Order: sequence, then C-alpha cells, then structure tokens
Amino acid sequence: MSGAGSGGAALLRNGVLVDDGFAEAFPMKATRLVITAHNLTWARHAAAATTGFATSVIACGCEAGVEAELTPEQTPDGRPGVSVLIMSMSGKELAKQIERRVGQCVLTCPTTAVYAGLPLADGEAVPLGKNLRFFGDGWQTSKVIGGTRYWRVPVMDGEFVAQETTPLVKAVGGGNLLLMCTDTDAALAVAEAAVAAMRGVPGVIMPFPGGVVRSGSKVGSKYPALGASTNDAFCPTLAGLARNSEITPDVQCVMEIVIDGLTEAAVGQAMTEGMRAALALGAAGGLRRIAAGNYGGKLGPFHFHLHRLLPASPEGAGA
Amino acid sequence: MNGLSLTLRAAPALRLDLRGLLPQPLLALDDAALAALPVLMGLAAVPLAELFTFERFDADQPTLRLVGDLSRADHVGRGLAEGCVEVDGNVGDHAGTAMTGGTLRIAGDAGLLAGCQLAGGRLEVRGSVGDHAASGLPGSMDGMRGGLFIVHGNAGRRLADRMRRGTLLVLGATADFAASRLVAGTVVLAGRVGAHPGYGLRRGSLLLLDGPAEPPPTWVPAGADAPVAWQLLARDLARLAADIGPPAAALAELPRRRVRRHLGDLAVDGRGELIQPV
Repeated sequence: MSGAGSGGAALLRNGVLVDDGFAEAFPMKATRLVITAHNLTWARHAAAATTGFATSVIACGCEAGVEAELTPEQTPDGRPGVSVLIMSMSGKELAKQIERRVGQCVLTCPTTAVYAGLPLADGEAVPLGKNLRFFGDGWQTSKVIGGTRYWRVPVMDGEFVAQETTPLVKAVGGGNLLLMCTDTDAALAVAEAAVAAMRGVPGVIMPFPGGVVRSGSKVGSKYPALGASTNDAFCPTLAGLARNSEITPDVQCVMEIVIDGLTEAAVGQAMTEGMRAALALGAAGGLRRIAAGNYGGKLGPFHFHLHRLLPASPEGAGA
Repeated sequence: MNGLSLTLRAAPALRLDLRGLLPQPLLALDDAALAALPVLMGLAAVPLAELFTFERFDADQPTLRLVGDLSRADHVGRGLAEGCVEVDGNVGDHAGTAMTGGTLRIAGDAGLLAGCQLAGGRLEVRGSVGDHAASGLPGSMDGMRGGLFIVHGNAGRRLADRMRRGTLLVLGATADFAASRLVAGTVVLAGRVGAHPGYGLRRGSLLLLDGPAEPPPTWVPAGADAPVAWQLLARDLARLAADIGPPAAALAELPRRRVRRHLGDLAVDGRGELIQPV
C-alpha cells in the first residue's frame, strides 16, 4: 500500500496537512449479527469473543468488530444486545467463519441468543443456527415465529436460541486514514478520538485492536512467501533510509485506522467523522498530516478521496 | 379493474362447490366467459351467472368478494395462492383448504374442515369454525402446514389435528381434543378449552390462555424457563394482536406476563410444550 497523493496540493486545516489522495477499498461480503443476553455484560463477552482474532483477512479469515450496543427495545427478544459485523473476501469463507465463531463464542456464552441483523431478503442466506442445532443431539426443536425460523438448543443454562440463517450482503473493506503525528502520545490521542467519532456511524467497523493499526502494510515483500509487508514509506524509523519515505522531521509516529462498512456511503461518512475529530485536535494536538493508503487505484473500485470527504467546518479547525 | 364482486342470487337448492373461484383466474375472464363459467351445484355444472350477479371494482390487489349467505357453498378459497378473497357472510365446509398464499377473510362462520392443510397465506374467520379445522384431509398424514389461521369465534373438535407448521389462533372457546396429535407449529387458544388439549401432541407449542388448572397427566413440568423463545413468540403475538384489534387484546399483554411450561405429550414423542400464563 502506498500513501502517495494524486499530485494535487495538500490542504491545510487547523495546522494539519490533508493530502490530495485517496483511500482505496475493495468489495467484501458481510453480515450483521445481533447477539443478545440476560444483560449487556454477557452480550459484550460474546461479541468480544466472536469478533476476536478478526483484524485482517490476510490471516484471520475475516474482519469483524462490534458495530453498536443495542437497547432492549432494539432487539428481537427484548434483552440488551450487541450488533457485530463480520466480513470476508468470499461468501464461502464468510459462511465458514460465521459458523465457527457463533458456534464457539456465542453458543458457549451464558444466556446468549443470536439473530440475523439484516433482512433475510437482502442477500443469500447462509446457516446461522441451522447447523449448530445438531449440538442438541436430537433434543433441539425449531420454531417458526413471524415467518422466521429459530432453533432452540437445550444447554445447561436453559436454551440457546439462534435464528436459522443470516443473509450475506455486499460490503466495502479497506477504507483508511493515516494519522501522522509528532509523538506516540499525540498519535494515540488523535487516533482514539477519530475512532470514537467513527463508532457513531452505523454500518461500519474498525476491526483492528481499539480500531487502530500501527503495522500498516504494503502489498508484497522482498520475501516471495509473504503477500504483505511493513509500509516502509510511513515508518518513522526508516526516515532517511527508505527511498519512498513520506516521513518528515516533525513526524515521529503514524497510526492507521482501517474502516470496513456495509456500504460505500457508510465508509465515506466514517472517514469524514474521523477526520472531523482528528482535525479538531489539529496541530496543537500533535497531528501534522492526514494521508490515506492506496494501491495506485489498481486494486479496488472504491476510492475515498480525502478532500471530497473533508468535513465542511471541522470543529475548532481553521485554515 | 382489479376486483370482482359475486353476489349470490338466492340460496342454492343444493350445495355449491366453489373450488376454482379465485381472484386471478376470474379477473382474467371477460364478462361473457365469466357468466358462462361452470360452477358445481350438487352434481350438475351450472353457469356462474345463474347463481351470482357480478360487478367489477377497483382494488389494491386482485380481489374476489363473495356476497350472500354461502353456508351451503364449500371449498371457498380452496388452493388460493395470491390475491384476496373476502366473504361477507358464512361459508360451508373446506374453506381455505390447501391455501398456499394470499388472504381469505370470512366475516361469518365456516363449516367443517376449514383451513385444512393450509400451507401459506392468511385465513381469518370472524365467526366460528366447525370440527377438524386446520387439520388434514381424509387420508393425509399432515394437517395445517404453514401460514396464519385466525378464528375470532369458537372452534370445534379435533382442531389442528396433526398440524405440522404455521400459526393458529383461536380467540373463542375450543371443543375437545384441540391440537391433538400435533406434529409441530404454534397453536394459541385464548378462550376456554375442552377436554384433552394436546392429546398425543408430539412437538410444537400449545399456548392456553384459559386452559385447565392442571395439564393432562402425560405432561411434565419443564425444568427450566425458556424466556428467549417465549419473548419471541409473545412479542410476535402482540404484534398480531395490534393488527387484529380489540378482540385480541389479551394477546397484547403477553410479553409482560410470566408463563409456566409443561413438556409432552410423553405418551408419544414428548418434545412439545404447553404454555400457560401464570
């Protein structure tokens, strides 16, 4: 991945340079699951386990994250819940990931139930509780309620209830922002503020730990076996060493936020909100430059141009 | 025009067999063809125009409206797959048999075997239904197998016998052997029930709002609550109650009510549940 701009002039906002570049994203398959439990604590436990080890499709099989916490009024069974998004590069891989993760992390978690979070008509249905029901060893029963089939599997705390299927829909993966800052404290603060703002956007997840990745990657490696390697152009320790370094003397730490979303618009909106929060901290907060990673436009059909997504009037920002 | 109204000229001398009188095929006919359409009365085929006057009207969806006392008309809405059939009075036997879709609304009573082998769509009877409603046709292994069947009044014996799938709701009283030999599905009985509810019930859910104090002896208390499944069911019934209106007011409160469950019928498969609010 490179962070090169498109050759245009960078804009200065609140003392921060915003590249005239774009983030390049690619199509994915996704589903939304709603996990409920007796209380929010256990719904969170299940959601955290389900979306664990799901930072990148490079080696995790899928990218997943918590989208939102839900009130009892927002869930099918009137209990508190969490909605999670799970995305992968193919429907087949995603179906496998859903079954494994729900089977090992939701079925096992006390008091939980799981439902499709998208209308079934929105996409190809893949098993959710359909195969997990066999854990019931013949004691499982199904229930069609309001036209939707649920499976009831006897477990030691009562019943595990799971909707039979969940739809797979088209999604967008790989939206990103590169936040180039003066030091680690500033970079963490800016990244945390941006992620917090992005979490208010429905339909997106930031799959890396805390929503932030410090090991941004480029495609390819000097080692043929590796498909990706460190993004040397944005590594401060390689300033002056890497020929393509983007690091200036005032930048000591770079953080990346990767955004996956159910729609192109959601990813774009999340990038806008992220930039709004980051620019509000501005140069005074240690942010020097915002860039975005792309592959020169050759990989993904979705291009998120930073200047087009810039908030009109970032809070506290001035030119 | 998307609607057709058929008004019975006079009470028929013999029973009518109205199978085939469905919105889509009738609306496709011109007036002449419609008038000549043969309708079985007894064993004789009679032109439709001898039995009914007809009139076309605008409707949101393909609609057939039947007007008059059709107590001696059987097979009303049989095999309905789409569109709407509205009856402003009583109908005879086999109303809504083997429906797979669409809506059949009967303002009055229905006779025997109403909703037999209902497989889809919505059948709503504002009056009462006779014996063997939602059950199977003679010789068939399965009764109702899908769809939604609502009875505002009372239901006769052997309601939902061998029913396999779908939701059946009776707001009035129910006679003996309700939900007998139920294979699966959901049966909700809001009024008093007769003897032996759930006799030989294998799987499925039988919800009794005014059932006996103690379930039959071949049922055992459930060892644990099933609050999630109950809430899914109760909330769906509450939504249905809002759609039905005041007659179903008791259902609107279900999500806030606690229930007790019994499992059975242990004389057979024993994986069914009998749910009663406490």
